[in-house]
Amino acid sequence: MYCRRFIDRPVSRREMLARCANGFGGLALTALLRDPAYGALLGEAEAAPEGAAAAASPAVSYAMAKPHFPARAKSVIFLYMDGGPSHMDTFDPKPRLDREHGQPIKMKVQPTQFNDVGNVLKSPWPFKKHGQSGIPVSSLFPNVARHVDELAIIRSMVSNFSEHTNANYFLHTGSLGSECHDLPGFVVLNGGLIPPGGLDCFGNGFLPASYQGSIFKPGTQAVANIAPPDASSQDPSKRDLLRTLDRGVLARLGQHDSLESAIGNYELAYRMQAAVPDLMDLSGESRATLDLYGIDDPYPPTQIYARQCLIARRLVERGVRFIELTCPNVGGDRWDQHGDLKGGHERNAKAVDWPIAGLLEDLKSRGLLESTLVFWGGEFGRTPMAQGSNGRDHNPFGFTVWLAGGGIKGGTIHGATDDYGYHAVENKVEIHDLHATMLHLLGIDHKRLTYRFGGRDMRLTDVHGELVTGILA
Amino acid sequence: MRRSLGRATGFLLGALVFSASPSRGDEKEKAASAPAPPRGDAVAIEHFEKEVRPILVNRCQECHGGTKQKGGLRLDSRGALISGGNSGPAIVPGKPGESILVDAINHGELFQMPPKSKLPAREIEVLTTWVQNGAHWGYEATAPQAGAKVATPDLNSDKPSEMVKQRAGFWSFQPVRDVEPPPVQGEASTWARNGIDQFILDGLQRQKLQPAAEASRSALIRRLSFDLTGVPPTPSEIDRFLADPSPDAYEKVVERLLASPRYGEAWGRHWLDLARYADTAGHEFDYETLSAFRYRDYVIRALNADLPYSSFITEQLAGDLLEKPRRHPTAGTNESILGTGFFWLGEGSHSPVDVREEEMRRVDNQIDVFSKTFLGLTVGCARCHDHKFDPITARDYYALAGYLRSSRFQQAFLDGPDRIAPLAQKLNHQKESVRDQLLQALPLLPEKQRTELAAILSTDEGGADWGQAPPQSADAGANPNPASATGPIVFETFDAPSFDTWRITGDAFGAGPTREGAFLLEAIPRTPTTADWRIRPVARGLAHSGLLGNDFEGVLRSRAFTIERRYIHMLASGRHGRINIVVDRFDKNRDPIYGGLTISVNAEDPHELKWITRDVSMWSGHSAYFELADGSSADYSGGQTRRNPGDGFLAVDEIVFSDQATPPAAPAKSGRTPVPLGPVLSALEQARSPLLAGINAALSDYQTAGAGIPEPTYGLAIADGSPEDERVLIRGNHKNPGGPVPRRLLEVLGGREAPRPESGSGRLELARQLTDPKNPLVARVMVNRLWQHHFGVGLVKSADDFGAMGQKPSHPELLDWLARQFVARGWSLKAIHRLMVTSSTYRMKSVLNPEAERIDPTNMYLHRMNVKRLEGEVIRDAIVFLSTGLNESMYGPSVKVHLTSFMEGRGRPSGSGPLDGDRRRSIYLGVRRNFLNPMLLAFDTPSPFSTMGRRNVSNVPAQALTLLNDPLVLTQARLWAERIAREPASGSAERVDRLYRGAFGRPPTPAEAEASLAFLAHRERAQSENPGAGDASNSNPNDRTLAAWADLCHVLINVKEFIYVE
Repeated sequence: MYCRRFIDRPVSRREMLARCANGFGGLALTALLRDPAYGALLGEAEAAPEGAAAAASPAVSYAMAKPHFPARAKSVIFLYMDGGPSHMDTFDPKPRLDREHGQPIKMKVQPTQFNDVGNVLKSPWPFKKHGQSGIPVSSLFPNVARHVDELAIIRSMVSNFSEHTNANYFLHTGSLGSECHDLPGFVVLNGGLIPPGGLDCFGNGFLPASYQGSIFKPGTQAVANIAPPDASSQDPSKRDLLRTLDRGVLARLGQHDSLESAIGNYELAYRMQAAVPDLMDLSGESRATLDLYGIDDPYPPTQIYARQCLIARRLVERGVRFIELTCPNVGGDRWDQHGDLKGGHERNAKAVDWPIAGLLEDLKSRGLLESTLVFWGGEFGRTPMAQGSNGRDHNPFGFTVWLAGGGIKGGTIHGATDDYGYHAVENKVEIHDLHATMLHLLGIDHKRLTYRFGGRDMRLTDVHGELVTGILA
Repeated sequence: MRRSLGRATGFLLGALVFSASPSRGDEKEKAASAPAPPRGDAVAIEHFEKEVRPILVNRCQECHGGTKQKGGLRLDSRGALISGGNSGPAIVPGKPGESILVDAINHGELFQMPPKSKLPAREIEVLTTWVQNGAHWGYEATAPQAGAKVATPDLNSDKPSEMVKQRAGFWSFQPVRDVEPPPVQGEASTWARNGIDQFILDGLQRQKLQPAAEASRSALIRRLSFDLTGVPPTPSEIDRFLADPSPDAYEKVVERLLASPRYGEAWGRHWLDLARYADTAGHEFDYETLSAFRYRDYVIRALNADLPYSSFITEQLAGDLLEKPRRHPTAGTNESILGTGFFWLGEGSHSPVDVREEEMRRVDNQIDVFSKTFLGLTVGCARCHDHKFDPITARDYYALAGYLRSSRFQQAFLDGPDRIAPLAQKLNHQKESVRDQLLQALPLLPEKQRTELAAILSTDEGGADWGQAPPQSADAGANPNPASATGPIVFETFDAPSFDTWRITGDAFGAGPTREGAFLLEAIPRTPTTADWRIRPVARGLAHSGLLGNDFEGVLRSRAFTIERRYIHMLASGRHGRINIVVDRFDKNRDPIYGGLTISVNAEDPHELKWITRDVSMWSGHSAYFELADGSSADYSGGQTRRNPGDGFLAVDEIVFSDQATPPAAPAKSGRTPVPLGPVLSALEQARSPLLAGINAALSDYQTAGAGIPEPTYGLAIADGSPEDERVLIRGNHKNPGGPVPRRLLEVLGGREAPRPESGSGRLELARQLTDPKNPLVARVMVNRLWQHHFGVGLVKSADDFGAMGQKPSHPELLDWLARQFVARGWSLKAIHRLMVTSSTYRMKSVLNPEAERIDPTNMYLHRMNVKRLEGEVIRDAIVFLSTGLNESMYGPSVKVHLTSFMEGRGRPSGSGPLDGDRRRSIYLGVRRNFLNPMLLAFDTPSPFSTMGRRNVSNVPAQALTLLNDPLVLTQARLWAERIAREPASGSAERVDRLYRGAFGRPPTPAEAEASLAFLAHRERAQSENPGAGDASNSNPNDRTLAAWADLCHVLINVKEFIYVE
C-alpha cells in the first residue's frame, strides 16, 4: 500500500528480527504496541521473560505473532465531543421531560459538579424518526440523521467521573500502533480545543513514548517541527554529511543497536517530512468531495471541522490506526453547556453535523467504512434537570454515544436510561466495555493485551471490560 | 492512557462487588445468632421457591454463589444472606430499609446490583416484600456453609498476616548481608581497583569473559562530566586532564566534578523524577503549586552539601518535626522543612464531586510515590486488596494512609528566628512602652481623655504576650463535640489564655488570644514623617492578627472535627483576612462547589465583628479543620493560583456549629471607638510633661519599625494535624469503611512491632524506622539508583520495584556490599559515587566485542561499559552550553514555559517564556503538567504522575525532527557558529577541530575533518551560486560563511555521538 513505498531504508538487526516475527507485510494489528518502527525501545527486555536468552533479541518479544481473532476494523476515528453533549437533546428522547418541564425532579439527585440543581428541563429540540430503522434523532443533527441506519446508538453509557479531566483521561484510554511507517500511529487532529487535562489526554501513559498522540493542527505546519526551517536545511549535502559522520560513529563505537536505531529513525523522520505536507494538501480532492464535507460552509467552525474530517479519511487511507478529532472553537464553551444549552448546543452541532455526515458518506462510497470504526461521543452526558435556569450539569450516570462502520450493526439502539434520562438502567455500558469492544473489532482480545508497568501487567482496559455484543454485526 | 493506570485504583471503586456499608464485628455476630426463620409455613416456602429463589438464582448467584463469592458474599442460603459479605449483612429480615441487598437492587449509593441492568420493577418488589416479611427460606437439601468466605482476609483483624509471613522470604526483604568482595586470581587481578571490580570480575570470570580495556582519557572525562554534572567537559578541562601526568589525575577530575554545583543540579533532576516534581497540579486548570520550586532548590542544595541520605529521608518525611532543623546557609530559613514538599508535588483536582474520594486519590499517589521512592515497593497495589505478589496487606496500605490523614498541607513560614520574629518583639516592646507612658501620663490629662484611655489601657492581665507560645497540648485531635446532642456546638471562643489546640505559624497572631487591655496603635499619616495617632481598643478573647499592624502574616490551624451540624457560624472581622474550612484536607477551595469554604473576611468596617454563616450540610460526616489565615494561604478563584495578600488582618471571636441558619446573638464586644492621641499629646505639651518626648519617640520608633517588616518566605510543606488513624476502605471504596488501622510501617518491615506514635502524626518515628540500617530496602534501593545512572542499567533493573514483579539483582552480593558501604560511610551519596566511578568497571570501553556479545548479549555481566543516551535535559543543556554557555545562576522561581502553537488548552499561561529558557539549566525550566516541554518529552523526560526511577529510552521520529527542525536547536547552532567564528583561529581546520572537541570531547578523525571541510566549501559555494536558497542575508560573503558554519554545527548536533555517550 501507499505507505510501504519507502521500504528500502536501512534496517537494523533488531528491526529485521522483529519484522520477521511480524510476518513481514504484517497484519495491521501486529503494529499494536510492538510495531518496530514505533515500539523499538532501546535495550528494553522487560516484556520478555527473565533470562538472557529471551533478552538477546528483545524486539522479538514485542511482536505478537498474529491477531487474537479476525479484525473487523483497521482504523478508528474518534469524533470526540469535548465537554459532554446532552443525550436527551440528541439521540435519547425523553417525553417525560416535556411533561414535567419546570417541576422538581421526582427522584434522588446525585451530587453534581456545580451543585446548582434546578427543575426538570425539556429539550428545546424536536425529535424525528429517521431511516428504515426509525431511530429518533433531534433536529440538532439533521445530516447525521440521514445515516442513522449505519449507527449503533448506545444509550446506556456510564462513566466513573463527573469532572472533565478525570473523565477525559478515562475515555482517552487506548491508542494503537500504526500500519503506516511515515505517520504516527495515533494522530490527534486538533480543531482548536484541547480537552481539559491538556495534552496528557494524548499521552502514552504506561506505554513507551512512541504511543503518544501526535497533534496535527489545521494549517500548513501540521506537526511540530515537521517543516525544515528553510531550503538550506533540505540541501542533500547536509543529510549526506550527517550520514557520513554517523557511519563514522558506528565504526568507532561498534554496531550498537541503540545507535543503529537512532540512525534509522532519521530516515523515518525524513519520510515524515514529505508525508505530512502531502497528507495536508487537499488540492487533489474534487470539488464534490470538498462540498460533501462542507469545506466552504459560511460558518468558520464548520469549515475547520470539515477539513479535519476530510484529513481523517486521508489518514485512514494511509493506514493510520487511531485518529481523534477535537472540536473546533465555536466561541464560548465546547459542549459543556452549564448555561445557555440552546445556544451552545446549536453552535456545536452546527460545526460538526454536516462534516460528520460527509465523512460517513465519503468513507462509505470509497468502501472504507466497513474497515473503519467511527465513534462519536463525549466524556459524559448532561442532567435532565436544569443547572440554573437554562443549562445542564455533568451526568456520568447515563449518556449516549454511537458507533458506525467496521463490524458495527447499524440501525441499532443498545441499552436505555430511565424516563428522565438520568441513570442508565438497561444494559449499562462502561468505558472499559467500550474500549474492550473497540479492541475486539480491531481483532484484539483486551484481556490478552498487557504491558508491564508499576509492578504488574497492565491491561489497556485494566481489570474490566466486557464486549458489548449487542452492537456487533 | 496512563491515566487508566494512575487512576486504576479509582476505577476499582466501580468494581462489581457486592459488599456493603460499614462492617462492624458486633453486627455480624448479632446476625449469625439471629432467630431461625419460622419453618413449616407452607405458603411462605412456596412463595419463596416460586418467586424469590428464581430471582436469586438467575440474577445473583453467578457472582454470589457456590462458584464465585464476589465481595465475600454468597446469596444461596438464608444464613449466608444474614451473615453477609465483606461489608456486613446483606439483609436484615423484616427491615428492607436496613438491608443492603434492597438498597443495591434499587441501585443505591454504594452498590448497584445487578451491575449491568436494574432488575424489572416487579422483581425488586418481590425481593423487597420478601425481606419485609421476614425472608423465609425454602427447602434445603444440605444447607451450604453460611457465609463461606474462601481466602477473603478479614480486613478488620489485627492479627499478623499469614500471607506476609509466607512471602517475607523473598530476597529483597532479607537482611543486607555482610559480604566480602570475592578474591580474584590470575592476571586480571591487577585490573581490580576496588570491591566493585572484584565482584564484577568474579562474575565475568565465571562466564569466561574478560573486562574490556580502559577507555581513552578523552572518553573518560566526557563520561564523568555527563554522569556527575550533566554537562560536557570544556576543551580546557579536557586538555588539562590529558596533560596531567600525576597518578591521581583521574581522581582529581572526579573530586572536581563532585564539588561542582552542577553536580546537585544533575542529580537533583534524577531525584525530581522520583518526586514527580512539577510546578502545577495538572487537571483542568493546571493550578500552580505555590513555592514548589523551593523543593527543587532544597534538593539541589542537599545533594551538593552531601547531606547524608538518612537525614535527607528524615527531612522528606518529617522535616517539619525536627527539633533543630537545618538552616539555609545564608538566608537562615528553615531548610529541613522544605523536604516535606515531597508530599505535595502530585496532581490535584479543583472541583471534585466527592471530596473524600479526591482525598484518597491524592493519598494513593502519595503512598505510591513514597513506597516506590524509598522502598522500591508498589504499596499502591494494596489499596483495594492485599498485594497480589508481595508481602503487603491492604491494612499496611491504610496504616500508611493514617500518617497522611494526620498531616496537612501548609505554605510554611520559613524565616529563621532572626528575621521577622525580633521585629514583632521590638514593635510589641515599643507599643507597651507607649502604653506605660500613657498610663503614667493619665493624671495630667483632662477628664475625658483620662477616662477613655484608662478604660482601654489599664489591665490586670498585662497586655499582649509576644513571647514563646506555651506548649500545645499533644492530643490536639480530641473532638469535644457531644456525640448525642443536637443543639449548637461552641467550637471555639478564644477565651482561654492560650491558643490551646490551635497550631500557630507565622508571627501575626502572637502567642495567644487577645487579653484585657489589648489595643491597636493606628497611625494616620499626615506627612511622610508625621502622623496622627489613635488608640483603638480591642476586645479580649479574639484571635487577632493585626495587633502589631497589618504587615505581619500568620496562620492558625484548628484541631480536626467532624461536620455534624448544618451550619458553621464564625464571628469575625478584618481586612484581607481569610478563613478556610478545609474539608477532607482539600485545599483548592473555589467555586463552583467549594467556594463557600473559603471566606474572604473583608468588611467595610474591618473592626466590627460580624457573624458569617456557611451551610456545610453537603459535607456532613466529613472531617474538617479551620485555617485562620493572614497571608500564606492560596486563592484559586479564576483560573490561577494567587497567594492571599498578607497586608490586612483577621480577627475571629467565636466559632459555633448549629442546625439553625441564624447565628447566635452577637456579644457586645465591638463598638468601642478609638481615642485620638492628638488631644492627649497637646495636653502633655501644655503641661510641659517630659513624658511627651518619650511617647513621641516611642510612636515614631513604632512607625519606623513597622514600615520595615519584610514579607515572609514561604515553602511548600507538611504540617501535623490531629493524629488520626485511617480506616481500611473495603475494596478501596471510601464509601465502605472498615475498622481503623494503627499508623505503622509495613508489617513485613517490622511495622507491627514498632512502638505506636505517642503524639502527633508519627512521621518522625516513621522516618527513624525507615533509616534504621536494619531496613533491608532503603540502602539497597538507593545504591541501585546510583548504579543505574552510572552504568546505564541497575543491578536491579526495575529500580522502583524490588518486589516479586520486579527483576532480581544481577549481582546480589555486590548490591549488598554497596548497601553496607553506603551505611558505613555515613549514608554519603558522594562516597558511593566516588566508589563507583573510580572503579575499573566504570572506566571500561564501550566498544562491542563480538565474542563477548555472544556470551553476554545484554551486557548483564558488564564485560564492557554500556553506551548511554543522554537525557532530554542534558541534551538541551549541552546544546546551550556549546552555543552561548549556560547561565549558571542557580535556584529561584522556575523559568516560564516557552509555549509553542501546539501547546494549547485550559490553564495555558498568559505569556510564553523565552525560547532559550534564559539559558538556564533545564532543571530550572517550569514544569507545567498540562504544558510540558515538547523537546524534553520527545527525549523521554517523564510526565510527572508518579515515581519514575527508570526513564524510558525510546527511539521515535519526534527526536530526529526536534534536532533537525526545532527553532531552539537551529538558533543555538547559529549562535555556536558565531561564537566559533569570533574566536581567533588559524583557519577552518582549527575551527572544525574546536567544534569537535566541544561537541564530542575529542578531535575529529582525519576523515571527519575532511568531510566537514568539504561540506563547508560546498555550502559556501552553493549559497553564493544560489543566494535565494538560504537566509535572505546571504548576499554578504561573511554571512554565507557563517551560514555554512551554522549548518555544520547543526549537523554535529545531529550526529549520534552528540546524544550517546560511550
